[in-house]
Amino acid sequence: MIDEEKGGTVLDVAVESFGGRHLIALSGEVDVYSAHKLRETIKDLVEEGHYNIVVDLEKVAFLDSTGLGVLVGGLKRVRHHGGELGIICNQEKILRIFRITGLTKVFPIYPSREDLHAKVEEA
Amino acid sequence: MPQEETTEFELEMPAQAKYVGLARLLASSIARRLRFSEESIDDLKIAISEMCTNAIVHTGNGDKPPILVRYLAGDGFITIEVRDRGPGFDPACVLDRERGDLLGKGFGIPLIRSLVDVFECDSSPGSGTVVSITKFVDAG
Repeated sequence: MIDEEKGGTVLDVAVESFGGRHLIALSGEVDVYSAHKLRETIKDLVEEGHYNIVVDLEKVAFLDSTGLGVLVGGLKRVRHHGGELGIICNQEKILRIFRITGLTKVFPIYPSREDLHAKVEEA
Repeated sequence: MPQEETTEFELEMPAQAKYVGLARLLASSIARRLRFSEESIDDLKIAISEMCTNAIVHTGNGDKPPILVRYLAGDGFITIEVRDRGPGFDPACVLDRERGDLLGKGFGIPLIRSLVDVFECDSSPGSGTVVSITKFVDAG
């Protein structure tokens, strides 16, 4: 997805409250051009005192190592405050990248919002 | 790079982040014509994104020498070469990097190596960098 007027990759970012957590819903492509939007959103949430964050990747069409780096940076940031950063994703092409890089062992990954909700209810 | 007859495409692009998506789009279009699987096309898109991102980071964003991307489409394979005119480096630094230090030094190069069939890097301080990958159609 390329913005034909401005050039560059399109990434939409929306923040919602979900089960006592803050959920960042991404739609589009996360790469070196667009990843700053995610980085700034996580940074803003942490600065506002929100340390339990979930990033929904279900509508992400592309994610590379720049996006992974932003997620790892966000994880370090929230853990510094005793929080957690989870991922919602059920797309094999995205999960594969997490597996290759060993990040499935680092992030809590939920297949859907319903699974996240069930985990929150259990806790 | 395989020696069979190839069709060559070149994209000379400014060393700016907003053009990485264009390099990706061209790679996926060529790979689709070569009948790569969707999974392999996804792999190529990540690989070229990493290569161009590295080139931009090493060259610097803005008014810097352009990056040259060459696509060589052959019978059952694609080779993509990304050439920058940055300061260069010792390629042994990246070729020896293993998964164990990913969290400290970045995911890009190990990710490329795990997604393609051939990965080559030619660089030396002061002479820029050429990174080349090849992926075969039937390699999955």
